[in-house]
Amino acid sequence: MSTISWLTARGLFGRRRFLLLLPLPLLVVGLAVLARWAGVSPTHWGGPVLVGLGLAVVLPVVALIVGTGVLGSEIDDGTIVHILTKPLPRWQIVLPKLAVAIGVTAVTVAIPLYVAGVLAHSVRLGLALAAASAVGAIAYSAFFLALSLVTRRPVLLGLVYVLIWEGLLGNYVSGTKVLSIQQYVVTLADRLAPTSLLNGSVSVPVSIAMTVIIAVGFTVLAIDRLRSFSMAGETS
Amino acid sequence: MSTETTTPAPAGVIHDIGYQRYAGARLGRRYVAGSLYVHGLRTAFGFGRSAKAKIFPWLIVAIVAVVAAGLAAVRSQIGEVVLTYAQFADAMSWLVIFFVAVVAPELVSRDLRSGVLPLYFSRPLHRADYVLAKLAALITAVWLLLGGPQLLMFAGAAFTTDKGMGGVWDEVLDLLPGLAYAAIWAVVFASIGLLVASLTGKRAFAAGGVVAVFLMTTPIVGVLMVMPSTTVNRLAGLASPSSLVQGVGVWLFEEWLVTDTPTGIGVGRFGPVYGAAALLLIVACVGLLLARYRKVASA
Amino acid sequence: MTTVDLSGVSRWYGNVVAVNDISMALGPGVTGLLGPNGAGKTTLLHMMAGFLAPSRGTVTLDGAPTWRNPDVYRRLGLVSEREAVHTFLTAYEFVLASARLHRLPDAEAAARRAIELVEMTSAQDRRIGTYSKGMRQRTRVAAALVHDPQVLLLDEPFNGMDPRQRLHMMELLHRLGDAGRTILFSSHILEEVEQVSGTVQVIVAGRLAASGDFRTIRRLMTNRPHVFAVHSSDDRRLAVALMAEASVTGVEIDRTGLTVRAGDYGSFTRALPKVALASGIRVRRLLPSDESLESVFSYLVEA
Repeated sequence: MSTISWLTARGLFGRRRFLLLLPLPLLVVGLAVLARWAGVSPTHWGGPVLVGLGLAVVLPVVALIVGTGVLGSEIDDGTIVHILTKPLPRWQIVLPKLAVAIGVTAVTVAIPLYVAGVLAHSVRLGLALAAASAVGAIAYSAFFLALSLVTRRPVLLGLVYVLIWEGLLGNYVSGTKVLSIQQYVVTLADRLAPTSLLNGSVSVPVSIAMTVIIAVGFTVLAIDRLRSFSMAGETS
Repeated sequence: MSTETTTPAPAGVIHDIGYQRYAGARLGRRYVAGSLYVHGLRTAFGFGRSAKAKIFPWLIVAIVAVVAAGLAAVRSQIGEVVLTYAQFADAMSWLVIFFVAVVAPELVSRDLRSGVLPLYFSRPLHRADYVLAKLAALITAVWLLLGGPQLLMFAGAAFTTDKGMGGVWDEVLDLLPGLAYAAIWAVVFASIGLLVASLTGKRAFAAGGVVAVFLMTTPIVGVLMVMPSTTVNRLAGLASPSSLVQGVGVWLFEEWLVTDTPTGIGVGRFGPVYGAAALLLIVACVGLLLARYRKVASA
Repeated sequence: MTTVDLSGVSRWYGNVVAVNDISMALGPGVTGLLGPNGAGKTTLLHMMAGFLAPSRGTVTLDGAPTWRNPDVYRRLGLVSEREAVHTFLTAYEFVLASARLHRLPDAEAAARRAIELVEMTSAQDRRIGTYSKGMRQRTRVAAALVHDPQVLLLDEPFNGMDPRQRLHMMELLHRLGDAGRTILFSSHILEEVEQVSGTVQVIVAGRLAASGDFRTIRRLMTNRPHVFAVHSSDDRRLAVALMAEASVTGVEIDRTGLTVRAGDYGSFTRALPKVALASGIRVRRLLPSDESLESVFSYLVEA
């Protein structure tokens, strides 16, 4: 494990705010268990829990908190200087941090979705959801990590993306779906385990291609932005 | 530069350069709290702050204003009421959440982060005054966000009505419940938002926390609604602040809120339960806020 | 021997010029970067450390540019002004992480050595969050020194230190300078610079106002004649009247007005209005040249 990932992980887990991540996955599992116990048909609760909560909220929100946290919080409090004053090529800083963000997000989201998927339909759906959310974690993490280098307020902009772009526009304006990570994840999960619970509205090749483009593009952007990282003066 | 000295021995003197003690009236606690409220309200919309601080609040204001203008235009052209005043508040709930997530951290997290609370509390200002002034500012800001566009819609409707003054009066009777409903939204959302934001000094995390609280609870309602028990279904709305407010609205303003088939939540005979729950929630949030500020910054 | 070279470096933010056409070369030994608050010291240090691109000009470390070139950190250490540390680590873990990131062959030994250098060994296993300001500062210095850099840049290192810690830090910088390291630290307090180093670079409003041995600069400033540009209703008659003043050492006259050299700043500025009043001449303009450096030095000396 590289020193950068060790420092990043310590920074993430060493603070109380990490506990904020726990209620979200627990909620997914809790609701699935509750619905199952009450004997409600999965066709009723599968959509709201798996997509409405799991893929549309828990995945992007966890990715946002973690993705902006691995680099953004260090930029915020100035400790980034200690890492930048080292003779490391900048990709050796970005990639370990991205790996930590993806790993933490994927584990936090994939496990509860797997459980919920099994309860809703089958092991196959559980695995599909877990795999698709892990892929989503890659794209979201790369996006939010780059965001924390491009702007001083990454969390707010990230929320704008999740709430307004994916949440609001994605439901009404179909054109924005082509540029929505959430739609790729739903499409992939649906392709891996076709059920009536999920329906993707983007084609599978487009989803795969766009996920790769987003993940690679924003990682390259992040590396380049970190290379020209400037010490800012006062905050507004 | 040398100075002329008349005494050869080293001597010291304190020169009278006109400093005076303040001898006038002191404005006291109410004035401080009032100033804090006005400052909070200005901060909410980014007044007196950099252009960057205005982007997010005004983006939201612009969206609600455009929606309201669109609704007014549709109504005057086609004569069809797409959304009533009260329904407008419901339709804008996402933006209200986002607005609270932007503004609440600006109001309280900044002060926590920069450690200025000891400065505030060394004035004749009680901790409760600080909390209540900030809360009042946020409530007012959210209410303006929802009420302002309603007035815009009202203006559109009042000017195009063909029933003379009677028509205008009808509109007023429609508008007032809408504004009252907006006030309920404002009080509930502001109390929760401010409480969450007061837990952290990092604005980013405060914003994320506020959004999380509102978003996480919505799916719970969705699941409870499909439970095989009518009682549970009727009470499902209690699980989330948005649906709680909607439940209260249905109970109090059913006539204005439910126009066609009940698409939202049916509260049945549980209306008073929603009212009590909302009241309890507000009291609990304010109580926790006060408790939080009793401890904070004393260390 | 490692040198930091700046040639024609300017940096502006929008239409505010923070650093204006500065050229300097820093060699081994301790150099103080002196100037009042807001003079551009931090901006200059950030450009030297590769955390800011110069708007114009070049900053190089042994010929290699510092901007977008992480390799310079093999030979360069930076202690920034912001007191930011990973509070959840212990000092040892923190310095060790720095050593590891430098890919030092024996990171543990390097970390222990650096901590010893700043005399933090006894507290090295406590979390940094529990430290006092001075201890944090020393920990940061240890992290910056762990790879034994040729160049060490420190931004306001004495801020928030008590007198004993201050003395200790000064000793440390002294030792490093004597060992042939290139040390640059910024300060707005002359007394600090005087005690640590003889060499100063004085920055005023973004421009390099003086550089070299501090005592020499001071002597130059007090001994050299003060020059004023004067323009009046009757330059020639004023020149005659001024020559009678003891504080005036020379007067030149040309088309644009008078150039007056005065031996003593204070008595000349007091004498001029009296002379003008007595001979009924209206003084239209009085411009002291090099006023900014003058005021900065008096500010720094009196602070």
